[in-house]
Amino acid sequence: METKHILIIDDDADIREATQLCLELTGHWDVWKASNGPEGIAIAQSKAPDVILLDMMMPGMDGLAILQRLQDNPKTQQIPIIILTAKAQSHEQEYFGQLKVLSVITKPYDPMTISDQIFSALA
Amino acid sequence: MVPQPVHAIKTPEELLHRMTDRIRQSIELPEILNTTVDEMRRFLGTDRVKIYRFDDDGSGEVIAEAIKDERLPSLLGHRFPADDIPDHAREMFLNARQRTIVNVSKREIGISPLLCHTTQQPLKTNLWVRPVDSCHVEYLTAMGVRSSLVVPVLHRRQLWGLLVAHHRVPRRVSRKELEIVQLIADQVAVAISHASLLQLTRLQGQHEALINQVVSLLHSTSQDPLQKALDQTVMALQCAGGRLYIPGHGSKAKFQLATSGIQPELSKTSAQRRPILEQHPDWQAWLDAETPHQMVNRLWAVADITRTQLSWPLVSALMGQDIRGILVAKLTHRNRFLGYLSLFRQSIDFETVWAGRLDETDPRQRRPRQSFETWLEIKRDQPQPWAAREIGLTQDLTDQFSSVIYQIQLYHEVQTLNTDLEARVIQRTAELQRLNESLRQEIIERERTFQELQRARDSLKRLSHQNELILNSAGEGIYGIDTEGKTVFVNPAAAGLLGYTRDGLIGQFMHGLLNYSTADNTPRPWQQSPIFKTLTHGQIHHVTGDVFERQDKSSFPIEYVSTPIYENGNIIGAVVIFKDITERQIIEAMQDDFIAVVSHELRTPLTSIRAALGLLAQETLEIPGPKRQRMIEIAFSNTKRLVRLVNDILDVERIKLGTLNKKACNLANIMSQAADEMRAMAENHGIHLDVFPISTPLWAAPDRIIQTLTNLLSNAIKFSPPHTAVEMKAQRVDGDSLLLIEKQLNARGRDSLQAMLGISKTLLLISVKDQGPGIPDNKIEDIFGRFEQLDTSDIRRQGGTGLGLAICRNIVQQHDGKIWAQSTVGVGSTFYVTLPIQTEFSLER
Repeated sequence: METKHILIIDDDADIREATQLCLELTGHWDVWKASNGPEGIAIAQSKAPDVILLDMMMPGMDGLAILQRLQDNPKTQQIPIIILTAKAQSHEQEYFGQLKVLSVITKPYDPMTISDQIFSALA
Repeated sequence: MVPQPVHAIKTPEELLHRMTDRIRQSIELPEILNTTVDEMRRFLGTDRVKIYRFDDDGSGEVIAEAIKDERLPSLLGHRFPADDIPDHAREMFLNARQRTIVNVSKREIGISPLLCHTTQQPLKTNLWVRPVDSCHVEYLTAMGVRSSLVVPVLHRRQLWGLLVAHHRVPRRVSRKELEIVQLIADQVAVAISHASLLQLTRLQGQHEALINQVVSLLHSTSQDPLQKALDQTVMALQCAGGRLYIPGHGSKAKFQLATSGIQPELSKTSAQRRPILEQHPDWQAWLDAETPHQMVNRLWAVADITRTQLSWPLVSALMGQDIRGILVAKLTHRNRFLGYLSLFRQSIDFETVWAGRLDETDPRQRRPRQSFETWLEIKRDQPQPWAAREIGLTQDLTDQFSSVIYQIQLYHEVQTLNTDLEARVIQRTAELQRLNESLRQEIIERERTFQELQRARDSLKRLSHQNELILNSAGEGIYGIDTEGKTVFVNPAAAGLLGYTRDGLIGQFMHGLLNYSTADNTPRPWQQSPIFKTLTHGQIHHVTGDVFERQDKSSFPIEYVSTPIYENGNIIGAVVIFKDITERQIIEAMQDDFIAVVSHELRTPLTSIRAALGLLAQETLEIPGPKRQRMIEIAFSNTKRLVRLVNDILDVERIKLGTLNKKACNLANIMSQAADEMRAMAENHGIHLDVFPISTPLWAAPDRIIQTLTNLLSNAIKFSPPHTAVEMKAQRVDGDSLLLIEKQLNARGRDSLQAMLGISKTLLLISVKDQGPGIPDNKIEDIFGRFEQLDTSDIRRQGGTGLGLAICRNIVQQHDGKIWAQSTVGVGSTFYVTLPIQTEFSLER
């Protein structure tokens, strides 16, 4: 089975680290990490991950802007994007659902099932 | 009569003188006549002198007589039939004043008229002598008379009677004697005139006396004057009975009937009631048919009812009481019929002494009377005629009765009218009193109603005034509209909120004027407006978020309640109470944002904790040792972060809502404590901490001020590069130091200071200065908001929550102070806090 590559774009270092360990242990993901938008976009362009796990609320370039940039870029527009956000209010969730994303996962997530959620979203 | 002394008469003059004297001495006719015959017989020396008086029917009676020594039989009181002195003879006596002297023996008669037979002029001619009628001779012979002298006695141009001298033997009458006898006859005539006048006077006297009697009875105050007057009348007129009938006036009034003496009795009717004569239908019919008395209209004098047209029932009723004559007078006065006065007479027996019987069956009827033997004729059941005098008297009495009855009736009518009037006055008075009472009650009632009205009005006025005050003082805008949506009233708050004057809103169509729109500024049609539904359906609507437009076309969100106004069950309008919710919406939005951020900020550390612990808890997972350790550290540090976050969130809210526990303290102590708390952190970061406190009394919550200062120091230390200094300094701002201090400040700082000086004359200014990277000018205010960060990752690295400055600002504001930052990127930042220094008085509180 070919190893899948996933890119985590999140400004919180602890979340990046804990999520990486989750995905590696439970789904054998090859995890790449970025702490801000430009970094993430750059990785996405250069490495072309199978899926991007995108946080929405970040200082500087926020999740929406990153999403827009990725989808505007022909090199990255095919990469499926899953939103991983702490914005859990219903109107926020509703708004995210309307975006051109594969799925929305709310923080805090279940570390044992997150990998399966990503796989099933991709399937 | 007293006999006069008798002496011989010498001369005719003496005779005349004596006669005249005697006549003058007496006023009674019989006496005069007796004297006359006496004197005349003496003078003539004849056997008899008599005076014969004619009655109306031509018969006659000897009423005075003088006889010498009974030489002739007395004829005094004897009546002679009319035929004894036939009409033609009587006519000659009257018209020619013929005097006769009969000599029976010679069978000749001497006639000596006084007046011309044709011209009635006095004659001077003498006596004519011619043969006497044999019958006359036989008549005189039968009387035993041989010589007769007859002189007529006239009274009022009527043949009253004859003065007759008889002698048993023939006697010559001289011219002188005849003249004397004529003079005597003339004297007798004068006496008769006198006597007749006297008689008339007497009768008139009686008549008047009777009338006076009756009148006084009628007018007497005694009981039943009519009855007494009737009795008197019946008696005076020598009637057997009489009655006075007065019909009642009107249908109900009762008739009056007074009776005296005998009364006719009508046979009873079936009703067992004896009918009244005057009410009998035949009565009036009879009076209508019967001719009234010729002298007096309205008076009927009937001597013999059997010879009238009176109907049988009435005749029978009258005859039953032997009533023969009836006199009815109709009582009228001033053209008013008053009733009837009726007088009844019974039939009577007449006795007549006749001088010789006149035998109707005697074949010698036409022959002279052979005997003058006296006989008494009795006529039974004869009617008594009503004499003219009686009729006149009755008429006069009738007039009196009429007058009195009229007066009585008039009196009764007036009395009745008076009684009626009195009754009506009493009734009317009672009515007026009732009316008056009811009017009085009405006035009282009105008075009461008026007072109630007045009270209600006063109360309404008070209420209205209160309402006005409430409306005027209400913070909410209030306006009333009628059913068409036109403004009826507006309170000052409404006018103020909408930017109009109150007058400018009255009568306006509010919906249009306010350009009523929904929250997204879509105009709402009037028919879809909740206010319209309130007007049409009476529903109370509570609406939040719709938009009104001000006069200057700016719009603002509103919250309102529209309530219908009812009057007598009908909606007559609506009241709209509204307020501007701009600020509230901002606060609400901020709160929504805050909740969203808090939620996000809490979930973030939780995500790490859960992921780390979730993995660690999974025994099946083979986690390498270093990784396992790392996960534990992540879980631990995020737990600490979560605790800090929760504490800060609670602080923000607590400081904002709660009251601080202020007390008197000293700024120098506070600054030292804050510096001591941060000294370890500063050493960790390699930062030199300089503190320049001043000692000044302060009315504050010391823990909160320390929290503020440590927060500022913490930030300054966190953002300062190692081996730099952080300086905390306190200054007193007053008139002396102001200019110097202001030189350190930029425009924002000076404005803040000036604003504070407007409140308090003396201020404290505390500054915390670092040499960090600085804050961009466009963020210099935002950093005091909640969860506002410059660089989150950096802050997290420093362990901040993003709430510190917000907490600081809240604390400073609770102390009536200000906090702001002044920064130059690349040089460093200085955070300023000013606090007012309380007066001595305030401190002692």
